[in-house]
Amino acid sequence: MSFWIVLGVLVAIGLWLIAVYNGLVGSRNQGQTAWSQIDVQLKRRHDLIPNLVQVVKDAMGYEQETLTRIVQARNNAVAASGPAQAGPAEAALTQATRGLFALMENYPQLKANDNVKQLQEELTTTENKIAFARQFYNDSVNAYNVRRQSFPAVLAAASLGFGPMDLFNMPETEREVPKVALR
Amino acid sequence: MSATTDFVAAQKQNRRNTLLLLAILTALAAAVGYGIGWLLEGEASGALPLVSPAGVAAAGLMAVVSIGWSALSLAVGDKMVLAMSGAKEIGKADAPQLYNVVEEISIASGVPMPKVMVLETDALNAFATGNKVGHGTIAVTRGLIDTLNRDELQGVVAHEMAHLANLDTRYMVVVGVTVGLIALVCDMLLRTMAWGGRGRSSGKKSSGGGILIIVLIVVAIFAPLAAKAVQMAVSRQREYLADATSVQFTRNPNGLISALGKLAEKAAPFPGVSRATQHLFIVNPVQTFTSKTPALLATHPDIEDRIARLRNLGS
Repeated sequence: MSFWIVLGVLVAIGLWLIAVYNGLVGSRNQGQTAWSQIDVQLKRRHDLIPNLVQVVKDAMGYEQETLTRIVQARNNAVAASGPAQAGPAEAALTQATRGLFALMENYPQLKANDNVKQLQEELTTTENKIAFARQFYNDSVNAYNVRRQSFPAVLAAASLGFGPMDLFNMPETEREVPKVALR
Repeated sequence: MSATTDFVAAQKQNRRNTLLLLAILTALAAAVGYGIGWLLEGEASGALPLVSPAGVAAAGLMAVVSIGWSALSLAVGDKMVLAMSGAKEIGKADAPQLYNVVEEISIASGVPMPKVMVLETDALNAFATGNKVGHGTIAVTRGLIDTLNRDELQGVVAHEMAHLANLDTRYMVVVGVTVGLIALVCDMLLRTMAWGGRGRSSGKKSSGGGILIIVLIVVAIFAPLAAKAVQMAVSRQREYLADATSVQFTRNPNGLISALGKLAEKAAPFPGVSRATQHLFIVNPVQTFTSKTPALLATHPDIEDRIARLRNLGS
């Protein structure tokens, strides 16, 4: 008799573990998918910046400092891995790009250059896409973390290998998307 | 309806309202059908009983036709609207900024990337069509691309994406079909009565129901007008919701506010639009903005009013 009770309890615990595991996997996958979408846009941005620097370099020879800063910020952003590191690095890169765009206002021949216009538009749209995709990523991560920390799943989550996921925060670029005046 | 920042609740409420309005319109169609059946049966038998089997049958027929017509319109209406407008599909190379902005809002809204089309006219306007999630089209005029800055364009595109996200385009097709059906059938009803009246005067007199016939005539005259007013009410409500949803997507009310200001100044009638498709556009493409349409029969709310509501959202 007691054998059957023990067996019943074990089966119940086993089923519960399966349910917790599957729930957490689904939730974590959604977060990872959302991150890979951001990652695509981040890579695109990292590819665009050297092109932009290349195009404006000749005209903006006297702005070496700004150009060096943006290249440096870009390299830091490329080196950063994962949302926690990438957040501040990407925010710094956004600041540096904005600084460059602002300086470019002083160079009418650059503003009239189709190549520059196109690169500016591509960078702007990439930043907007990152900002919009970030919202979805952070929502997914919040849902996952809440699920992971809720009772009774919290009893099993850590031992099943479900660690916390990081939010993707970009300080100082929270609300504002870069404004690029092309007209 | 006051401006609200709770978009999800607003969407739910709007869907409920639209279903309610659809139910009213279908009931109206069925009632008119009953009237015709009842009248025809009265003609045949010489008496006008209140309960008429022919009336019930006709009411059922009207409901079936109404639903069938809606289904047909949903299947082909999309392509017809696009063909009528003369919009051309574009790729990223043709208008990179427009295409990029649509991609951005697609990410922000979670709506799959729609087709992007351009209308070759200087007028400032935009519209969306699409009856299923994932099969949408957003069309903007060349004038809009040339005149608006990036933020303004984003606001307009987000407004159109909101129509797709809320499935406004689908509801408006169904509502439009039902209204058209009611107008058609009321016209038939009036003709039937005129014809029947002549028949009666030459022969047997009906025993009663003279007052009922007058009531029926009044209904036949006013039902299409009432249906039209309901359709326009739905249309205006959808515009307000799309404006609010647009801000939810872009988180920047200023883009749409400034775009609506420019549209109010420069929107002008252009070829390829008609009263049949006017409700699809972001601002009414048929009327000029100096002329006043009676509020009850306008497809779009006053632009000033829309801007005022958006300002409320921003603060």
